[in-house]
Amino acid sequence: MFTFMSGALRRRLIIQGLRVNPVKKWFSNNLCDSDTIFALSSGHGRCGVAVVRVSGPASALALRSLAGLTHSRTVPRTAVLRNITDPRSQELLDKGLVLWFPGPHSFTGEDSVEFHIHGGSAVIRGVLQALGSLPGVRPAEAGEFTRRAFYAGKLGLTEVEGLGDLIHAETEAQRRQALRQMAGELGQLYSNWSQRLTRCLAHVEAFIDFSEDELIEDGVLNQVDSSVSQLQKELERHLRDGRRGERLRGGVQVVIAGATNAGKSSLLNMLCQRPVAIVSPVAGTTRDVVETALDIGGFPVLLSDTAGLRDTPDIVEREGVRRARERVEQADLTLVVVDSTHLPRDLLGVPSFLMGQLRTVLHSAEAQEAALRGCLLVLNKSDLLAGQQVERIQKVLSQTEGLPTACLLSCQTGDGLDDFLVVFQKQVKTLCGDPLSGDPSLTQARHRAHLQNCVQALAQYHHYRDLDLALAAEGLRLALTNLGRITGKVGAEEILDIIFRDFCIGK
Amino acid sequence: MLVRQILFRPYSLQFPSRRTTCDIAHKKYDVIVVGGGHAGTEAAAAATRVGAETLLITQNIRTIGALSCNPSLGGVGKGHLVREVDSLDGLCGRAGDWAGIHFSILNRSKGPAVWGPRAQLDRDRYRQFIQAELLSTPRLTVLEGSVEELLVSNPNPDHPGQHRVTGVRMVDGGRPVFSSSVVITTGTFLSGSLFMGRTTSPGGRIGDPPSCAGLSHSLRETLGLKTGRLRTGTPPRILKETVQLSLTHTHAPDKQPTPFSFLNKETCCKPEDQLPCYLLYTTPGVERVVMESLHLNTHIQQDTKGPRYCPSIESRVLRFPGRKHQVWLEPEGMTSHLLYPQGLSMTLPPDQQLRLLREIPALQRAEIQTPGYGVQYDFVCPTQLSPSLQVKRVQGLFLAGQINGTTGYEEAAAQGLWAGVNAGRTALRLPPLSLSRTQSYIGVLIDDLVSRGVTEPYRMFTSRAEFRTALRPDNADLRLSPRGFEEIGCVSLRRYREVMRVGDSLNEALTALQSISMSPPRWRERLGTISLSENKSTLVSALELLEYKDITFEMLASAFPDHLSAYLEFSQRLKIEAVYRPHCERQKLEMERIREEESLSLPQDIDYFSLPVSLSQEVREVLDRVRPHTLGAATRLQGMTPAAVVHLLNYVRKTERETEEQTYTKAS
Repeated sequence: MFTFMSGALRRRLIIQGLRVNPVKKWFSNNLCDSDTIFALSSGHGRCGVAVVRVSGPASALALRSLAGLTHSRTVPRTAVLRNITDPRSQELLDKGLVLWFPGPHSFTGEDSVEFHIHGGSAVIRGVLQALGSLPGVRPAEAGEFTRRAFYAGKLGLTEVEGLGDLIHAETEAQRRQALRQMAGELGQLYSNWSQRLTRCLAHVEAFIDFSEDELIEDGVLNQVDSSVSQLQKELERHLRDGRRGERLRGGVQVVIAGATNAGKSSLLNMLCQRPVAIVSPVAGTTRDVVETALDIGGFPVLLSDTAGLRDTPDIVEREGVRRARERVEQADLTLVVVDSTHLPRDLLGVPSFLMGQLRTVLHSAEAQEAALRGCLLVLNKSDLLAGQQVERIQKVLSQTEGLPTACLLSCQTGDGLDDFLVVFQKQVKTLCGDPLSGDPSLTQARHRAHLQNCVQALAQYHHYRDLDLALAAEGLRLALTNLGRITGKVGAEEILDIIFRDFCIGK
Repeated sequence: MLVRQILFRPYSLQFPSRRTTCDIAHKKYDVIVVGGGHAGTEAAAAATRVGAETLLITQNIRTIGALSCNPSLGGVGKGHLVREVDSLDGLCGRAGDWAGIHFSILNRSKGPAVWGPRAQLDRDRYRQFIQAELLSTPRLTVLEGSVEELLVSNPNPDHPGQHRVTGVRMVDGGRPVFSSSVVITTGTFLSGSLFMGRTTSPGGRIGDPPSCAGLSHSLRETLGLKTGRLRTGTPPRILKETVQLSLTHTHAPDKQPTPFSFLNKETCCKPEDQLPCYLLYTTPGVERVVMESLHLNTHIQQDTKGPRYCPSIESRVLRFPGRKHQVWLEPEGMTSHLLYPQGLSMTLPPDQQLRLLREIPALQRAEIQTPGYGVQYDFVCPTQLSPSLQVKRVQGLFLAGQINGTTGYEEAAAQGLWAGVNAGRTALRLPPLSLSRTQSYIGVLIDDLVSRGVTEPYRMFTSRAEFRTALRPDNADLRLSPRGFEEIGCVSLRRYREVMRVGDSLNEALTALQSISMSPPRWRERLGTISLSENKSTLVSALELLEYKDITFEMLASAFPDHLSAYLEFSQRLKIEAVYRPHCERQKLEMERIREEESLSLPQDIDYFSLPVSLSQEVREVLDRVRPHTLGAATRLQGMTPAAVVHLLNYVRKTERETEEQTYTKAS
């Protein structure tokens, strides 16, 4: 146990030691069990075997439901070959190895199960969805496995030091993934639901906090009733229709960005080895996002070429620039293309010039380590530089710290391309080692679980509507929390804002 | 002790003789409380309860415990606060029971978690109770006078802070009075100005002298505290005999009054003696008068932040034109000849106020006794306070009530009590304490204030409490009184014994209910026709059965008298517990997590900009500005990321270990 935990525990023990306190006992009876979580914990990409991990009190249930094994009769920490079936349909999902780790002898200290299954995305999705359908089992939040291990005292000191960075990386990956899905129709749908639900909750809260002496009529609640029913219907229909959702973009998302006429589209064409995008010496040729699926060193990559970033009066081009920025925001890796003939003559100024370029592309003052880690600098048009100049630039770059890896190349002649490909492949490989990046099915599974909880919570509203309005409101709060996990949190102040906007409260 | 005597003999209230004040200059107190309103009186009483020698300084002893605005206490959310203050042995609950003349539980149909115990009060009786209680409290001295300035000196280097408070200097003759802690509860008097029509005058309440500018100067200039400005208002008081009550809707109180205090089984006022309230509506004429006299209304033209939920009639009309608005006429006392028109707070010139009132049919012949007016006042931005309500940069200085940007008697009383407890503890060299938002509305109130600050007068709503179903008015005693006795030291042994008895009985009763288990058909045999889900094979316990709408504890007790009839006294509480228990258990884990985070304190002197952990500049700036006291408060800040929280957690853990090692080394 870590000291920061023991402080609180010690205090509690001392208080309890004074006297067996009936009130405290009364309040602490039946500490409810924690949720059970699951996640794909192996890397994504072309892999033969995928590992799905489950941790928490319902692990034994997962073991029984998917693999037909009783935990008490399963040898701990020993691989067994089993048929893995969907508990809802009894459909065979895969045949794979199953391992049972009873707590506390597991990574998280809790009961855990590992399913080693085939790496195909259909199999993975099937297993994840089957797990999500079990009561009390949900997809893990970013870093949750690690956090549980941390709280259980299962991580060594050095591992703990890295935990913050790890969670940061995982949340970042999830955030980007969620952004990709949220950018489209699906996102609009979710935020529309969230807005309507927030309003329903605000009206119920207004009715609770004010109606007695105010002019808030019962009619308000009737409106909420029908809105909630309508929401329920829409959510249920959406859940039934899950497969027909938006086309999910798989693979590592790589975006080519930079100033106009730096040669972004030439880079795209060269990587694809075919003319995917129109290239011309005219600045602003590419106006929309051009997307291509590629295989880089065996890993799926979705490469997007974007409009050159500049202020422009042209409406169409301006929209292109906006989309370019949006893509950069959602990217796992950004290739920042710079015209090397624009580098300052005084080579001492090169690092700060490149930093400026990066800031423009990343479009934020916080061109910080984390963001820079997701970048590669491509200095194009090396063929137009004098021979000595190339070497000098490379020397300066190798001596500069704090910049992302930079590659000097020429899309025209192909010089420097091989070196660039090595660096690029390495980056893509690292990204694919992160089980969260570029796997839309996992994000989809999370969304699904939250939406399912949301539907259940809405049912709680109806159940308690006439019995106890506080408990009915609790249902709406819970529903909103679940939607909020997808779309962003809603706080007490937003609820109050709606109340005061919609009602004249006079007391 | 006195309280009980008073409650048993309600009409024999005796005023103990006032204390002499001539020796004050030579004496050092543990705690000085400045201000005798709802915050000040609770603060002074609480400080003495934890054992501190306390001095209460007020401009006018006769206005101690005065209800400056509405003659009522409690309501939805506010009633929760009254119950919690009472559970920590505060005054306002018992005072309300003694002075109430119209009791009702608001939200009766909406579920016990949001019931709002409320009462109309007799102004005189409320004041009498508070004064009698304070003037007979041991270790408490009351002094009439004004404070000129705060006395401060260099800080104690062992604690964070830039100053240390040492007492106050009085206006007349400039006598210093020394103390270890000072609680300031000056309400709307901090640079307060009164508005009526186009006239403005300095002051915090009509009829009272303005408090001297010295204190404002001390807080702002000497101590460098950041302040903001807020406004509020009060309606004209109407002569009851000039109102045509036949043209109003009469609103009766509850037939059986429910006391605020857990110590009282009944209220002073007999059920049949309670007075009604009267409901009426505004007319288009009211709107016309407001619009026509806008140019005469200085208060409403200014853009100082007023409350959105208790707006003046002017702002109601301006924001929601073309509607009729409710007005409640509330009695001001058992024998008072005045009515208080709730909902008609206004700042028009007096002649226009009369014109406006008379646009309402029932008030056609109404006469005004005191016109309504507005108040604008300074508040100290409460993010400068710690969860113990101490000013972070000034050791020993506590603030409570409207000075922190809140509105309402109950909010003031709750803060006063907590500031008093901690001022007393600090003076007695005990560590300061905080209340968790998972355990009380007081905790929610203080956490909201110190970690988020205010942009408009802060009022309690049940929707602010994320654990609303657990923080109910019915279980405030179980939530707070045991800790109040065992750890805080502000609860009497008598109350402690009572809450222990209640807690034991409830536990036994719940166990008994759980032990009775039968199949649905057998339950039907015992209880007659009840709607139970038809699954015959599962056993249903009496506790589960009690969750059903139509099942009462009395029904179960008559079916199993041997097991249950001993607990009939608690039938309502058991019913509530049965319904809410499953939900509260589901929330337990979340509550535990928040409590764990709240128990991890962040040192106040951290230099966030040079902290050797990986935090973004943005997060560092937020942390530096707000300086959260605990990791829990930090997680609720805007812009905090999970990663930043883990880094902070890691840092706290390391520092704690280092401190422990140092202590160990010293000890050995």
